[in-house]
Amino acid sequence: MNYKPDEGTLMAYLYGELDAAETERVEQYLQQHPQVQEQLHQLSTVRKRMGALNDVEVIAPPVFVDHEQRSIPFWKEGYFKITMGIAASFLFLLIAARLIGPEVTYSNGELRISFNDTPKKTTQEQLLTTNEVQQMINSSLVKNNETIAANWEESNQKIQESLQRNLNTNSARIDKLVSGVSAASQDQVRTFVAGMQEENLKLMKDYFQLSAKDQQVYVENLLVDFTKYLHEQRKQDLMLFQTRMNSIEKNTDQFKQETEQILASIISNPEGTIRKVNNY
Amino acid sequence: MAETLPDGTMMHSDALLERARQGDKNAQGKLVQLWYKRIYNFSYKFFFDHDLAMEVSQKTFISMHRNLIGLQDVARFKSWLYTIAVNYCREELRKRKTTRSVSLNDFPAGEDEVSYRWETSSGRSDNPEKQFRHTELSDLLQQCLMELSAEQREVVIMKEYEGLKFREIADALQVSENTVKSRMYYGLDGLKKILEKKNITKEALGYEL
Repeated sequence: MNYKPDEGTLMAYLYGELDAAETERVEQYLQQHPQVQEQLHQLSTVRKRMGALNDVEVIAPPVFVDHEQRSIPFWKEGYFKITMGIAASFLFLLIAARLIGPEVTYSNGELRISFNDTPKKTTQEQLLTTNEVQQMINSSLVKNNETIAANWEESNQKIQESLQRNLNTNSARIDKLVSGVSAASQDQVRTFVAGMQEENLKLMKDYFQLSAKDQQVYVENLLVDFTKYLHEQRKQDLMLFQTRMNSIEKNTDQFKQETEQILASIISNPEGTIRKVNNY
Repeated sequence: MAETLPDGTMMHSDALLERARQGDKNAQGKLVQLWYKRIYNFSYKFFFDHDLAMEVSQKTFISMHRNLIGLQDVARFKSWLYTIAVNYCREELRKRKTTRSVSLNDFPAGEDEVSYRWETSSGRSDNPEKQFRHTELSDLLQQCLMELSAEQREVVIMKEYEGLKFREIADALQVSENTVKSRMYYGLDGLKKILEKKNITKEALGYEL
């Protein structure tokens, strides 16, 4: 029998983790190999001895579970911290104020923290009655009105004075001007109109004279130019006519010659020409 | 051993886990109550130190709170919880190694400042019958456990004292089942030698067992 269980199989056997068939085979093998069995026995004794090492008793910490995620205590929450912070600083302020010396009072629904001024001022003010206040307001209003009225009066007067002055000076000037003008006007107008008439006349005369002269020159020139043009035209027509005549003459000469030649050729060789002509 | 484990039906109550996973504070508290002793004892055996065990347990359950909602398979809860615990144990171990170069095991027995455990256990041979009180025996065995490597210690504690299946240990440590079994084998073998070396024989223990 060549079956030999390895260390792993022996361990599994020792701890009873083999299936039935495998256990059988190992047991058979052990019967045949007492030294292996002895070895295994020793190991199991070791196990027994080590088994005397017992567990240590320990108690699981009870709050352990909630340690991580849950239940932040209320005094660690943000809102609480903030409100406590404000309250603490306020308290500190109060105590500090107390210690430094100045007053911290609470009266008539008013909390007063004062450092360097006496609270008498306010008590004085408090003594004022509504009537007094009303009076004060009234008197100041009256004063105000008076000063406003005075101011208004003063400025009004000033404006009127200045207006008066201006009016006087201006009217005097205008009167002077008007009287001067009315005295001088009649003679001047007459002479002015006469001068105007004369000037107009002169201008008209000059204009007509100038324009008549110019027209004369212009018409003369026009006439000369026209005659020149006519001459030129005639010359050109004549030349054209001549050349036309010449060309006609040439043509008739040429024609004459051609007919003569044709006639001559017909006379010298009547048959051939006829054939040629027919063929043509 | 097996009798040290709490009631299995309570520990595996799927309904409880499901409620805890959905954020039920009561269910979560219940879970802590149920598992605190296990996790504490696991880390205590791993470190042989109450303060470290407390720290690891606290961290483990804080982490459980935070991450329980991400646990897909409720059936995996046990190995999942041990994974967290093991990781914190390893973290503490690393810290301890960097800060203090001397491990607990290396304290010379009988030094005044060291806890009483060492003194009493050193005086054991003088009068064994009187001195084998239960706690002292436990401490003695605990010392043996401390002589194993951390890897073997993890597996031995999980198997021997926490009663996890090899499959569950493999799941928790994220290694293969064969690796776990192999570590267990060498762990037991190592313990055998340590016990022999310390002369803790059957006869010596017979009084207690």
